[in-house]
Amino acid sequence: MKAEWQLAWRRFAVMLMKELKQLGRDRVLLAFIVYAFTADIFLAASGVSLSLNHAATLVQDLDRSPQSRELLSRFQQPYFRIDGTVGQDAAALAALDQGRAMLVLSVPPQFGRDLANGQPTSLAMQVDTTNSVLGFLATSHAQQIVSQYGLESAMQRLGMGEAATRNLPQVQNDIRVWYNPNQEDSWFMGISEMLNIATVFAVLLPAAAMVREKERGTVEQLIVSPLSPFGILLPKVVSMTGVILCGVALSLFLVLIPVFVIPVKGSLLLFFALSGLYVFTTAGLGLFAATIARNLAQAGMLSILILAPMLFLSGAWTPPEAMPGWLRGLMFASPLHYYLDIAFGILLKGQGLADLQSAILGMGGIGVLVFGAGLLLFRRQFD
Amino acid sequence: MNLQRVVAIAGKEWREIVRDRLFFTLAFVVPALLMLLFGYGLSLDVENIPFAVVDHDRSAASRDYAYRFIDSRYFRFRGYAGDERDAAQLIGSGAVRVVLVIPPQFGKTLAQARPAAIQTLVDGSFPSRAMTTKGYVTAINAAFSLAAVAQAVSHATGLSQQDALAQLTPIALESRYLYNQSVSSIWSLAPKLIMVILMLSPPFLTALGVVREKENGSIFNIYASNVSRGEFLVGKLAPYVAISSVNILLLWLLAVLLYQVPFKGSLLFFLPATLVYVLCTTGIGLLVSVLVRTQVAAMIVTMVVTMIPAVLYSGLIIPIVSLGAGAHVVAQLMPAMYYTDIVVGCFLKGVGLMSLWRPLAVLALYACLLFAAGYQLFSKRPNI
Repeated sequence: MKAEWQLAWRRFAVMLMKELKQLGRDRVLLAFIVYAFTADIFLAASGVSLSLNHAATLVQDLDRSPQSRELLSRFQQPYFRIDGTVGQDAAALAALDQGRAMLVLSVPPQFGRDLANGQPTSLAMQVDTTNSVLGFLATSHAQQIVSQYGLESAMQRLGMGEAATRNLPQVQNDIRVWYNPNQEDSWFMGISEMLNIATVFAVLLPAAAMVREKERGTVEQLIVSPLSPFGILLPKVVSMTGVILCGVALSLFLVLIPVFVIPVKGSLLLFFALSGLYVFTTAGLGLFAATIARNLAQAGMLSILILAPMLFLSGAWTPPEAMPGWLRGLMFASPLHYYLDIAFGILLKGQGLADLQSAILGMGGIGVLVFGAGLLLFRRQFD
Repeated sequence: MNLQRVVAIAGKEWREIVRDRLFFTLAFVVPALLMLLFGYGLSLDVENIPFAVVDHDRSAASRDYAYRFIDSRYFRFRGYAGDERDAAQLIGSGAVRVVLVIPPQFGKTLAQARPAAIQTLVDGSFPSRAMTTKGYVTAINAAFSLAAVAQAVSHATGLSQQDALAQLTPIALESRYLYNQSVSSIWSLAPKLIMVILMLSPPFLTALGVVREKENGSIFNIYASNVSRGEFLVGKLAPYVAISSVNILLLWLLAVLLYQVPFKGSLLFFLPATLVYVLCTTGIGLLVSVLVRTQVAAMIVTMVVTMIPAVLYSGLIIPIVSLGAGAHVVAQLMPAMYYTDIVVGCFLKGVGLMSLWRPLAVLALYACLLFAAGYQLFSKRPNI
């Protein structure tokens, strides 16, 4: 019994060495793994800001009264940046067409007089909504500025001074943003890019390693060896998991923590353990593709089919709440969805095992299912 | 360049592709399927945000306040939470993204016409979503506030509540949304999806083509034959470009017929311009395949240099102007950004060659550079 275990262990160790050597000799690939886990993540984290900043604004003031100047001066940094004035509508449109301005505000003539007389008046705003989200944010901020100014001027006209304005039954809403109080895009972008890269490698590396053996015919050698199908698959997955975990460690300790000061609130040990579980699970998906594909070209196309939805629908790039029900159901089948919760939970929220129970169970469940099915298919292929 | 040899190589490659049934099917199915999946799934609208309420006041006013959120289509009510501890747990687990905390005495304070305070907790793990959510919360809060003020004013002045409200909002903001009047995401999304998908699939198809011959050793037939480098590369890539051209039409049809995106530009400009873009992305695949030796490396390198930048640095989710310095440079280096101008211009703005010649010229130059580099780096006498 003991000898059997020793034998199994030795076989495992030999196969593991083989996989690692094979990977290590592909210098281009190795260099690329390092690039992806460091420079690429650095770029994503440093370079991207999803919020509305300094929207280029042009103003067209047809009134030129103190009131119009006061209102326009309230469109300020950080959301808006007044770039200048335009005289004619055509010039404003041209600026929008060429993307030089994101919004154009125009104050109608008589604005100041109407306001003083209590007549309803308006402020026209043209927004470039080629990007819908930013268009919304710009409109919402503008609306706030306009209503606040309208309220103040109305109160003044109705004879209630500043003291009265301050003492209205208004509701002050104090909004606190948790886990990322300054809404640092770099935290979010950096972590989610790291998870995405890990996912790409976790699907592709084991799948490719498997299909390559098939394509070259070396799999025949493995089959005639005393190795069981499990004994062939396991070392592949374990070696790739090891490489990917090293990559994750590289990006955490070289890029995310020192450069972007991500607060690691939870336990790193737990994070790495669960990352290992995640890579294992996702590798199962790759192996699934590998059992269907007969050559690497097929495996490549199949893995796009697996990877692209996983990355797009994980909830990192777009909010899951906005998806239609059937797609949200599909999301629960993606291990990345759970891993996202786990990674953000541990790194930013400081959650522990107890809080992450359901995510871990979900991910583990998928892993067992996919791995089992992949193993079954693989075994059947060579029986 | 001998045309006959080019045709021979292209014919061989074509036959190889067609005989691999699964691969041939996937070459068309993958782009179409991605278009369907993302078109329906990749909604950037922040809606149905799950939220909970901690109501310490339990007055008519506090319920009224909560109802403003419950009725909104932007929020989805997930129930009342007992206290802040429960609320923290709900946010932590991701069950809700927003919690409103209404303090005791909220209704009483308002009834006495004094300012009242409310606390809103927002999950900030996703910063852009948190920003949008803040926007919604502020808007709803402002509407409630205004109604409360109007009530107080009508009380003080004897105006009817409606008149008071009109008096208090003298300025209307008339917004006009350009280029996408309905601000519906799918209109701005679908054209960009064409860009992303054409960035993903042609390089992938191509990259494996050359490396496969390298890895199998069948490339030695080419090395030993009288086919020149140029003939080989042109013949090799032609079938992949042909497949991608069919995909262009397919994706365009899906955008116009299925998603009903208005196409305001001219097809005569759009199709050739898209072909230039496909040549660019095919060129990326070519360059990768010339540089690496194994198919595994080809797959992974292509994936990382195309897919992630196509999403992040192309203007799909994040507008180019909001990119930081480093990413901005990457965006300029990728063809995706230039093609985004073209595809968005053709679909939504209805502009043509006159205003889009610049990105088109960049793409053409880009394609030429890629092919020149691929040609230079591909050698019939490799040092093994």
